[in-house]
Amino acid sequence: MKKRVARFLGFWLFFLAIGCVEEQNFDQADDIAVVPEMEAAMLYMEAPEEVINEEPGLTFLSVTFDFLAFQEEFVAENILDGSLIYQLENTTSKPLRLSIEFLNDAGTLLDTETFTMDPAPTAILNREVVYGPAGKPMDILRNTVALRISGTNLGDTSSVSEAPEPKFVLRSTAKFRIQLQ
Amino acid sequence: MRALVSGFLAWCIGIAFSHAQNRTLLYDFYEIPQSLMVNPGVQTGFEWYAGVPLLSGTWTQGGSSGITVQDIFGNDGLDINEKIRQRAVYGMDPRDEFTGTFQVELLSGGFRGRNHPENFYSFGIYSEGDAITYWLGDLAVLAWDGNADQLGRQFDLSHLKTQGEMLNVFHFGINRQMNDRLTLGARGKIYSGIFDLRSARNDGYFVTVEGENNLLANTLDSDMRLQTSGLESLRRKLEDDGADQTAVVQNHILSRGFFGGDLGLGVDLGFSYQLNERLLLTGSLLDLGFMVHASDVRNFSLEGRATSEGVQIILPDALEDPDQNFWQDLVDEIEALIPFEEDASTYLALRPMKLYASVRYNTGGSGRPAEPCYCDYRTGNSSGNLPYRSAVGGQLFVINRPRGPRAALTAFYQRRIGNALALKATYTVDKFSLTRVGLGMNLQAGPVEFYLLADNLLAYGNLADAHFASLQFGLNILSWGRN
Repeated sequence: MKKRVARFLGFWLFFLAIGCVEEQNFDQADDIAVVPEMEAAMLYMEAPEEVINEEPGLTFLSVTFDFLAFQEEFVAENILDGSLIYQLENTTSKPLRLSIEFLNDAGTLLDTETFTMDPAPTAILNREVVYGPAGKPMDILRNTVALRISGTNLGDTSSVSEAPEPKFVLRSTAKFRIQLQ
Repeated sequence: MRALVSGFLAWCIGIAFSHAQNRTLLYDFYEIPQSLMVNPGVQTGFEWYAGVPLLSGTWTQGGSSGITVQDIFGNDGLDINEKIRQRAVYGMDPRDEFTGTFQVELLSGGFRGRNHPENFYSFGIYSEGDAITYWLGDLAVLAWDGNADQLGRQFDLSHLKTQGEMLNVFHFGINRQMNDRLTLGARGKIYSGIFDLRSARNDGYFVTVEGENNLLANTLDSDMRLQTSGLESLRRKLEDDGADQTAVVQNHILSRGFFGGDLGLGVDLGFSYQLNERLLLTGSLLDLGFMVHASDVRNFSLEGRATSEGVQIILPDALEDPDQNFWQDLVDEIEALIPFEEDASTYLALRPMKLYASVRYNTGGSGRPAEPCYCDYRTGNSSGNLPYRSAVGGQLFVINRPRGPRAALTAFYQRRIGNALALKATYTVDKFSLTRVGLGMNLQAGPVEFYLLADNLLAYGNLADAHFASLQFGLNILSWGRN
């Protein structure tokens, strides 16, 4: 009996004694890269043709407003690269030009994106502007605190498109990689 | 954010590997006085016992149902980011959990009633920490890959479920042998909460779809809440310049752990019923109780629903106010729809209730009479007279957790060797492991009793690859007779 007990205890203590941890490499934690790619709606602009026609000076839109999406401390510090994706649609009877100017907190122009559209019928214009190592400097976005949007009528102020509800539309999204870790 | 990610990893690993709640080996191991803590109605034969302060009962247990440390940090030459992606982000389920518990007895004792020797009274104080966090599921995918090119996918916010607490428990129990067959027990508990953190009733989703106007629309439908108590004052003290952080934490635990923090009440109930001289049924219900978190409370909530298609300039309305701040209007609108709020309102939390049950068949019996004696306080003045030499049986354990009950089934074999030694071997199946083998030993030398219980021994070869580990030990002075 004593031998059996001794064997049992020996077996048990053996398991406890060999309790060990295989070598782990916790230095790998330094290599962890949590880099999600986030996508969000950015800016939508819509100008009906009747509004465009009402502006005798041909500049139917000129507006400057705060845009602090990239100023948020967490975003500014961790954004790596990405792109702004624009889509423009013109169903009016006139050629149009739209410019988006990126301004810093001193009002200095950092960058301009200009779009020119033929009168309808014309194709939808898609443009992707890349920022980061493979494109424009990220600092443009990091320092942008305001956008100035100008819309110019390059045609007349009397014609009206036969399309239902003719208008000029800008759609846009931002798609960026952010380094969380 | 780096701190957040590191903090979450530390939380998971800390939960799983420093500290599950199933005390398989201790249950119905009635040579050990601490078995009263898992069934106040256990059959007792002690005259009295006194736990050695701080050493009478130490128990630490941890479990991880999804991955192990080895899976991520093993020195296998694989890219850690691929391991995390395959084994955690896309390999784990929101029902996978990291869980852990520790318990340290500060004071423990028990004695048989002088005028009512059928009663055995036990009392004590123990410190307990319990934590559980479920795998973040969709939120982990969102953090790892983001929402780009995931049109229409709803990221489920209810995948965030976590809770943790530390408290001291002051308890007093009565174990009463009703007759030859039935023993009943009850234990009253006063909980003194040190800290508590819980975010377990979240709901909602985040989704990106094609916009009505714009290319995309981002929608957040959130009903999320984080409740904390006992952490805000600690955070402030730790942030004080020149603060001795160790001393601050010690003072915080001591002051709140002895009725300076939150309070709660609970009860344990248990029974043992001898079906015949060989067959024993037992059961217990532990921590039927609640805590009222009323001190040092800080709660956070994010409730509401908002959809954004970005800044919208729609002519001619947009030109009516030349000073219109489109950006601020958008931010204000979203914040009004889903406000992030803080409050200090009292909240009530239920303790993690546990259920044990067992059926046990006693065999053999050293020096045991041919007729059943149902040995008790009247006949059993020595542990050698306990009514078995060996025993086999099965146990059931169920604990209430945020995602519903979690169960474990155990088969056990128990053996007494002389008066000094009792051994118990268990095989347990639960969500953490299908191959859990545990061994426990109770050794008594004169009035000194020592026990050591270790579960999932097969994992001890490489604890880093273990989904579960548990260790309990303790030292008591006790008497089975009147000495």
